[in-house]
Amino acid sequence: MNLKKFSPWLDALAILGWGILLLKYWITGKLSILIHPNYFGLTVVGGIGLIVIGGFKVWELLKLDRAAKQLRTSPANKSPRITEVEHVTLFPPSIGSTLMLSVALIGLIVTPRTFTSQTALERGLTESLPITRLEPQEFRNTTKPENRSLVEWVRLLNFNPEPDTYRGQKVKVQGFVIHPPNIAEQYMWIGRFIITCCAADAYPIGLPVKLAIGQTRATFPPDSWLEIEGEMIVEELQGKRKLTIQAFSLKPIPEPKNPYDY
Amino acid sequence: MQPALTNQLNNAFTVFLSLLVEAIPFLLLGVLFSGLLLGFVDERKLVSRIPKNPLLGALMGSLIGFLFPVCECGNVPVARRLLMQGVPAPFAVGFLLAAPTINPVVIWSTWVAFRDQPEIVVLRVVFSLIIATIIGWVFSAQADLRPLLHPSVARAIPLPKPEFSEKKLVQANTPLLLQSGTFMLGQPGGAVPIESLLKDDWKPLQTGKTDKTSKRSSMFHPVSKERLRLLLDSMVQELRELGGVLVIGSAIAAIIQVGVPRELILNLGQGPVSSILAMLLLAVVVSICSTVDAFFALSFASTFTSGSLLAFLVFGPMIDLKGIGLMLSIFKGRAVIYLMILAAQLTFLMTLVVNLYLG
Repeated sequence: MNLKKFSPWLDALAILGWGILLLKYWITGKLSILIHPNYFGLTVVGGIGLIVIGGFKVWELLKLDRAAKQLRTSPANKSPRITEVEHVTLFPPSIGSTLMLSVALIGLIVTPRTFTSQTALERGLTESLPITRLEPQEFRNTTKPENRSLVEWVRLLNFNPEPDTYRGQKVKVQGFVIHPPNIAEQYMWIGRFIITCCAADAYPIGLPVKLAIGQTRATFPPDSWLEIEGEMIVEELQGKRKLTIQAFSLKPIPEPKNPYDY
Repeated sequence: MQPALTNQLNNAFTVFLSLLVEAIPFLLLGVLFSGLLLGFVDERKLVSRIPKNPLLGALMGSLIGFLFPVCECGNVPVARRLLMQGVPAPFAVGFLLAAPTINPVVIWSTWVAFRDQPEIVVLRVVFSLIIATIIGWVFSAQADLRPLLHPSVARAIPLPKPEFSEKKLVQANTPLLLQSGTFMLGQPGGAVPIESLLKDDWKPLQTGKTDKTSKRSSMFHPVSKERLRLLLDSMVQELRELGGVLVIGSAIAAIIQVGVPRELILNLGQGPVSSILAMLLLAVVVSICSTVDAFFALSFASTFTSGSLLAFLVFGPMIDLKGIGLMLSIFKGRAVIYLMILAAQLTFLMTLVVNLYLG
């Protein structure tokens, strides 16, 4: 097989492949699993740019192919200009494109999955992680407690960690179920992942949930998504006083398209 | 519950894809700039505007990054292109290290994240500038950079202009066949020195004049179809090559991220020295884009010392797993190691001072 002949096509296809992959992720909404929405625009533009470049290249190669066929000769190298620019290569020419094309193809076939509760445990959901000390003005008294999301609760806790401040407040949050190993059957955690730019930096936050008497967490398998309504209480877990949700109602919900919060 | 291994693989794949999807648009941008530099900027005029003094050159290179708001993936092709066009090494190295940090987007995002700690924003810029300038300056100690460069980059660099000395002038008056050097026979002009074959605008020594044609005209070439084609070709080529490297770097970063438990790194947050070391390591492993690493660092703000956060913000954009692969397309392994060690040491020292005296 004459690798040299295919190498320019490989390049063009690799570039086109990535352009298509990026746009496909955006269209199917899977992009939200991978990166923060702030970058969606950039990704879309990038995808379009790649398709444009790949497209031009393919068009050019087709033209050359046709010209070669007409002349019934094959030029010494498919495109004289390519050799000019060819002076900087790290790998043998085809490896870079082969890699890119393979990853693009795999990406098109295999759907990226969101992180599971196992990952949450591994990444350190041992307690409600203190998170960004972003803006103290996160402390919005105006939001009713039952309208606060899980992330907002944790932020609030970070700002004012005394759990008694929130005792008795109504809670309604959504998240996925986590079963940390060392606590009683009546307890479980509800959590979400937060990302800043891409899945690589996702980290988990969550709150403990106390089920009603007679309920065990076996009813709620890990990684299932629930909307929990209840009231805030203070419980002592693993020797520390923690703000806990006393759950009155636990409603399964479908996994949201965008599993992360920000 | 899924078996642990499948879970790990899924995670690694998601992290891997997310790194790539995040980085490729920036790479595209950088490749575009590099292609524009190649096709539309007259390198001789560009080089003539750069100060010869290595320290100033490095400083100017670091500041020029302001015009290129790409993260570290994007500035590698530009730095490479600059070197190949004969730009002095201190300028290119200064640019390579500082451009990911010294640009409006990064400064703005750092400020948004650390609004209540403005000293972090300021120190990030200042430290990056100092470190990039120093390292650029250090690289000027090697007058001819080519042994340190990847062979294909080295080949493309124009040879240093020969100096006019007595000896050379005498040589100019002697017939070609009596001069020393390597000559190619059988060329249309008779015997020609080999240097003239390497670049088609090489000026033979005998003219003895400096190039008077480069007046204060524009640095830019006019747009033409031919140049646009050149742009396309160079972009395709750089994309495929740097894309391949990015894939490998992201794969390594993803595997390490998923394989190494985070607690290992996070338990070191409080000691003035151990926190810095942990953050330097985290910066290399996480390979996050400089445009948003401020928010990532912010999440550690309550558990890590400020000096260590600074270390993450300053060192990360310069050196990380993704970037090391890309840098290997410019420099040989030895030089990349020098870069890493120098940058790490300087960052460590500066942030240690912050921890001990300003913390």
